Amino acid sequence: MSTKLKGLLGGVVMSAMAVTAASAEDLVIFWAEWDPANFLQELVNEYEEETGVSVTVETTPWSDFQTKAFTEFNARGSAYDMIVGDSQWLGAASEGGHYVEMTDFFAKHNVGDVMAPATVKYYAEYPGNSGKFWSIPAEGDAVGWSYRTDWFEDPAEMKAFKAKYGYDLAPPATWAQLLDIAEFFHRPDEDRYGVAIYTDNSYDAMVMGVENAIFSYGAELGNFETYEVEGILNSPEAVQALEDYKKLYSYTPPGWAKTFFVENNQAITEGLAAMSMNYFAFFPALLNEATNPHAANTGFFANPAGPTGAQHAALGGQGISVVSYSDNQEESFAFLEWFIREDVQKRWAELGGYTAHAATLESEEFRQATPYNEAFYQTMFKVKDFWAVPEFAELLTAANQRLYPFIVGDEGTAQETLDALAADWAATFKKYGRTE
Amino acid sequence: MAAVRSQREVWTNRAAILAVLVALVVMLAPIYWITSTAFKPRNLATTVPPTVVFEPTIAPFVKLFVKRSQLREPVSEEVYDAAPWWEQMVLDGGEKVVRRGRTGEVRSSGYGKRFTNSLIVSIISTILAVSMGTLTAYGFSRFRVKGEDDLLFFILSTRMLPPVVVAIPMFLMYRTVGLNDTHLGLIILYTAFNLSFSVWIMKGFIDEIPREYEEAALVDGYTRIQAFFKIVLPEAMTGIAATAVFCFITAWNEYAFALIMTNRKAQTAPPFIPSQVGSGLPDWTVIAAGTFLFLLPVAIFTFLLRNHLLRGMSFGAIRK
Amino acid sequence: MTHSEPRAGQSAARGLNDKSIRNLFIFPTIAFLIIFNIFPLLFSLYTSFTDFRASTNAPANWVGLENYSYLLTNEFIWRNFTITAKYVLISVTGQVVVGFGLAMLLNRYMPFKGLITTLLLLPMMLSMAVVGLFWKLLYDPNFGIINHSLGLGKFEWLANPDMALWAVAITDIWMWSPFVMLLSLAGLSAVPKHLYEAAEIDRAGTFYTFFRITLPLVAPILMIAIIFRTMEAFKTFDLAYILSSQPTTELIAIRLYKMAFLEWQTGLSSAFAYIVLVMVVGITMIYVKYLNKVKER
Repeated sequence: MSTKLKGLLGGVVMSAMAVTAASAEDLVIFWAEWDPANFLQELVNEYEEETGVSVTVETTPWSDFQTKAFTEFNARGSAYDMIVGDSQWLGAASEGGHYVEMTDFFAKHNVGDVMAPATVKYYAEYPGNSGKFWSIPAEGDAVGWSYRTDWFEDPAEMKAFKAKYGYDLAPPATWAQLLDIAEFFHRPDEDRYGVAIYTDNSYDAMVMGVENAIFSYGAELGNFETYEVEGILNSPEAVQALEDYKKLYSYTPPGWAKTFFVENNQAITEGLAAMSMNYFAFFPALLNEATNPHAANTGFFANPAGPTGAQHAALGGQGISVVSYSDNQEESFAFLEWFIREDVQKRWAELGGYTAHAATLESEEFRQATPYNEAFYQTMFKVKDFWAVPEFAELLTAANQRLYPFIVGDEGTAQETLDALAADWAATFKKYGRTE
Repeated sequence: MAAVRSQREVWTNRAAILAVLVALVVMLAPIYWITSTAFKPRNLATTVPPTVVFEPTIAPFVKLFVKRSQLREPVSEEVYDAAPWWEQMVLDGGEKVVRRGRTGEVRSSGYGKRFTNSLIVSIISTILAVSMGTLTAYGFSRFRVKGEDDLLFFILSTRMLPPVVVAIPMFLMYRTVGLNDTHLGLIILYTAFNLSFSVWIMKGFIDEIPREYEEAALVDGYTRIQAFFKIVLPEAMTGIAATAVFCFITAWNEYAFALIMTNRKAQTAPPFIPSQVGSGLPDWTVIAAGTFLFLLPVAIFTFLLRNHLLRGMSFGAIRK
Repeated sequence: MTHSEPRAGQSAARGLNDKSIRNLFIFPTIAFLIIFNIFPLLFSLYTSFTDFRASTNAPANWVGLENYSYLLTNEFIWRNFTITAKYVLISVTGQVVVGFGLAMLLNRYMPFKGLITTLLLLPMMLSMAVVGLFWKLLYDPNFGIINHSLGLGKFEWLANPDMALWAVAITDIWMWSPFVMLLSLAGLSAVPKHLYEAAEIDRAGTFYTFFRITLPLVAPILMIAIIFRTMEAFKTFDLAYILSSQPTTELIAIRLYKMAFLEWQTGLSSAFAYIVLVMVVGITMIYVKYLNKVKER
């Protein structure tokens, strides 16, 4: 064996034996790999300067974030002190004992009032209306829309639109208008298409997209307290919403069958679509000329209202929780105390984080900071979310199995689809003893 | 014999060479596209038709190694002018370099470290899998082993279980013995993965080497071990080279376990490259640059072994 | 498969005897593989009879055969099996045809043969995830290169439910044909020249030479290649998962991944994995039996 190889092997054995001897002063926050995580790293650097406690934001690709986090939880790993987890995880992570309860922390620091109410409800509280809190709303997010202002403001287009639909072409205020505009701009011959929507059914993308319609049409996914779904999920409003979402699909560019945030942003940058649905967190890339050649001509609007005037949007975003297996819980709470301070939240927003801090959100300064902050601010008070029960992923699977063949595959009717889904969900809730 | 090569044979050969060239173009088109994208400016990455003539840039490689974050608007001219050339490349792409606190230290993307980890883990696990596999294959090929077929099938079956399912127990096992997030842990894992392959392929090759050669050597006074090293190993080089290439490729590109079993210290590069999609608009040039660099070690390794791979089994002529 | 038992007495006189060499060569590998695999195997076997969820700390409850009966009666699961069977068939057949065909073409004198072979091996050197990402872009009807270079206009590869599985298989064939090619090439170069010469003298036809001389001699190594490609195709995950989310491309491994890591139904997914394992073992046994028969000829 060559000495080089021996040295290499020796090094390997050494590193294998070295126990994770991170100093107690070193906190690790786990999140997905995206810009907000970079912004958070910048923010926590300031905490280090203030207190000497170093904080590292560790990231993993979005597609594997959930898997990695729960594998770590399952093995009671202390690799992460805090985690910026998705809102749907609350049920699984709190019932599983992976998150430290924060109810006392909430009471002591009045977090429920400091943060926007909808964010507290969906990012922090589980079960619904129980008064038990598990995380601090950190990165607010919801679905909004981007659109091509140059297409909308083209005089010829405006004239033609008015002639055809009888009202002025402008960012849609209702879903009916959204459908009209999508139809209007859908011109496959010119390589221009009406709209880009979420259709990826490998996790929650398509369901989030459909939720935008369902919630704004005044329908619900079910009763979050009694777990009733029959008659709610397949209500006439929800059926109408699903039918219209499918109609939107017919105005998408070709090949629009597995699309999520990347494809929907590309629909704008590649000049494919007039309007595109996406999470606010992914909009910064659309503002910069270097990443979006149409940056100067890209505008934003909040998810429009439905036929009844109800206006909601599907929630994204994450709250920050303390991991039960962390050896540094006290230090983590000290950090969170710092994190919710108003000046820190202001700084967080400045760096590019989507704060959930109510006062910061409402400030003029924030609302005018970017072209989409106003839409974001409006949306954050109207968000609704998917089920947060521990078995949420099974509910997602059923939804994907039922919705996708209808929307993309053109199988069955909206009524049949939602009836079948309601039956699936009812069976799942029964299986876990949530209903009789 | 060679003198009477028929006209037909000549034409068959020419046709075959032509067909190989066509196949080469088809097989390599996507690779060429990835490679050329690695040297393109960001705005030319997804053009249709693809831009063939362009001024190559190393910006994608610069971006690959530093941590970046999206800029909402271009920086002011003074800031841009004050920045070093490599930072300007990042700024040109609509992003800024992430620095540590006010010390201004540039944060690394972690690709370099992961690349090194990949090298350590793949090289050592390949050496282990190939050598253990060759010895075991020789043992099965040359000696009578009780329940040989069952043992061989057992070895094969270790590769049949879908990895998703063993991931959780494996993770629990690793954590208990402290192997998670270590190089050693991944080395053991990949050695185990590749062993079944290595044993089976090597047995296939060693079976083809006539045992008469060793027996002659034994009669000449060689020990069995000497005969193994001096006669069998050289003859099995084709198999060893092919097995080494495959084992190296498997270990080099393994994704799922690398992701679950490692954190900061020992994580390899495969989970890193797709993570570049994260920030809302994928920078295909950076993904391509990461892919291109990551392809190099395997390609070089294979190229170095090419003569062994192609030599064939020269003693195959004397078959049972 | 004939084994000449070495004469123990003779070799014992010099160094290690054959028996200890045999044990020394074989035993560590077997022991290592048993130690490494026994816990995960038993753990998943046990959990397959429980309602264990790895996402919570709740204790597992024994449910007997419930998981198995649920899986074997679930319509969606059966669809996963059918899709996987179809996929394995298309993809492995394609790889064998392309890979073996390339090997036949390369099996002659050729300038730059080493370089050409190395270049042809490049596709399989990439990681599955990266291949998935890039091929998704290549297939894209709006800015993909494939439609552009083949003049297919806006042809939808992945968005068309009937086409998507083929598109995934084509990518897999592109990636893994080189594997079959390399192993076949090694097998082909072992075919003794004098057999061809003899065939030529007998004025044997090309087909006769191929089926009677070439194929039987390459068959053992080709069979090993097929066994490994079949096993891998059964487990295909990254590629299909990244390329398409059509119900028509939901392979077993994808469903299994969702069950195990998104839904955290660890018990159920273990049962699923065991069903898959039994199937793969069954199929592989047929292959191995055939392999042994081929070798005896």
